Amino acid sequence: MGDQVSARIIREEDLARWTEELRQDYAVIGPVTAGVATSFRPIENPSELDWNYTSTVIPPSKAVYSPRQTLCRFLKAGRGYRIEEVLPSREKCVLLGVHPCDLHGLLVLERTLLGETKDAYYAAARASVLVIGLNCQSVGDNCFCASMGTGPFFGYWMGQGPPQGCDVLLTDLGDRFLVETFGEEGEQLIAKVESSPPTPQDIGEKLRREAAAKEWFRKTLDTRDLPALMRRNTYHPTWRITGEGRCLSCTNCTMVCPTCFCYDTRDRAELDLSVIERIREWDSCQDERFAEVHGGNFRSTREARLRQFVCHKLSYWVEQYGCFGCVGCGRCMTWCPTAIDLTEIAAEIRADEERK
Amino acid sequence: MNVQLPRDAVVTAITEHMPDTRTFRLRLQDGEGKLAFRPGQFNMVGLPGFGEAPFTFSSPPQADGSFEHTIRAVGRLTKGLFKLHVGEVLHVRGPFGSAWPLDQVKGRDLLIVAGGMGMVPLRPLLLEAFMKRPDYGKIVILFGARTPGELIYGEEFDSWRGQPETALLLTVDEVPPGEEWKAHTGVVTGLFPDMDIDPDNAAVLTCGPEIMMRFVARGLLLRGFSPARMYVSLERRMRCGTGHCGHCQLGPKFVCKDGPVFRYEELSGLPDTML
Repeated sequence: MGDQVSARIIREEDLARWTEELRQDYAVIGPVTAGVATSFRPIENPSELDWNYTSTVIPPSKAVYSPRQTLCRFLKAGRGYRIEEVLPSREKCVLLGVHPCDLHGLLVLERTLLGETKDAYYAAARASVLVIGLNCQSVGDNCFCASMGTGPFFGYWMGQGPPQGCDVLLTDLGDRFLVETFGEEGEQLIAKVESSPPTPQDIGEKLRREAAAKEWFRKTLDTRDLPALMRRNTYHPTWRITGEGRCLSCTNCTMVCPTCFCYDTRDRAELDLSVIERIREWDSCQDERFAEVHGGNFRSTREARLRQFVCHKLSYWVEQYGCFGCVGCGRCMTWCPTAIDLTEIAAEIRADEERK
Repeated sequence: MNVQLPRDAVVTAITEHMPDTRTFRLRLQDGEGKLAFRPGQFNMVGLPGFGEAPFTFSSPPQADGSFEHTIRAVGRLTKGLFKLHVGEVLHVRGPFGSAWPLDQVKGRDLLIVAGGMGMVPLRPLLLEAFMKRPDYGKIVILFGARTPGELIYGEEFDSWRGQPETALLLTVDEVPPGEEWKAHTGVVTGLFPDMDIDPDNAAVLTCGPEIMMRFVARGLLLRGFSPARMYVSLERRMRCGTGHCGHCQLGPKFVCKDGPVFRYEELSGLPDTML
């Protein structure tokens, strides 16, 4: 991804043909709606794609960061075992139609997995993925990306420079799409379809639509001084009331979060012990055993675990990585069986402090 | 380099301290070089089929490339490790984490407070300080355990006491009937009145159960020791060693890479700790 940005216009009716062209060279993974739920899945026909989806259950970042990954194999050799590295090998793939919140989800997740220490497995998987973003004009009830600076359109983020992590960015302009490409690989993707240069009217229409989308948000999160506010209120009563009174420790919030990275490892053995695989699987700080050690558990209560999730996203993350761990996608509250809402928790804490 | 990939280490000696506590002397298999580590850091130690867990080094690096881990058999992995014999192989990944601040505390008196298995990460610090004895002032060691038999490394106590300007004070919670015990009984903070050390020039290095470290730290603060020169070593569940698996998080800290050795001050006010 370079600095080179260029913009083109493609007609809506050419979109299907373009997708089909992409399918010749790449596995195309995009939003497909079945019943009430949309999910990112490999498509076989461009007509499966839902260009107007609001959100998906599992975020697209988790199409790159697999729920289960073999780390290595131990192969019986004499009296011991020989260690064999296992890295994911994937066909080249295009992640198509990723909303800005989820583009940021990828960037945030990668501050962990491709940061100080590179996770070799994620890096190998990520290397085979090209990302085509889609500016969002379908704001849902739980969306608050506008508060987090991560949407609804993809642009500058927290003052940290031009868009990254996306090769092509699409904006639906009604009967046509504005296509912005970032770098050479993006250029190659768009070269597969007939396009024309954008007019000043096209750029104006994008800005008009962005302004309109921003008007649709009902949910907000006030991020002023938020990390410090959360740190000051480690013992606020809401942790007990909400954690013990409503949280079921079901772990849904962490499974659907685009930035959650925690994993557990376990060994899986063939019955004759000839091959033993060490695998990792997503884990959750909401699981009771997550912080258990011999002789104790540092987060044995739901109160402590809920505080860990919310404070990590809205406070600790900023100290760890210089950005929030929340991109405002709203999935944690959408899929919470008791509708626990971290924006409500933060607002309640802020209101209590302001009353004092 | 893939840091999640284990390496073979061969067991070259096993010392039994107690039926459930042994020290494994290890060396990387031929051709894999030496592990460059510092006292306070840890390895992920594992066995195929049993998984991995973090274990602190219990020795300083040895000239021949050897290193030691003192392990108590309490779970599936550790019980699996206890089935190993000399010459057999286990797996290590590391070293990971922060080390005791041996350089920063040069010229200071050292107050070392250990509880039970908490002596394990402190032993390499002690042995390294003894090797560079003129770099440090007085060394006062307070060591508490449940019973006299659980004061590990007892065979080394005489040589520790034989070091210049070094004191070792022992305490146990209880003495089994029939056993002779002349030293102190009670919790390790009960040794504070007996120690001879100047708070203004001392650095404190402690490891033990968190509840013990809480009372050690608070007790020493009341006695005028500086929180800026107080270091603790923490234990948490860990799966990776590199800040990726998330289990060891304590507030904004990853115990695996920001710790396990922390300045006490860094941790003040954090939830989910007994400190």
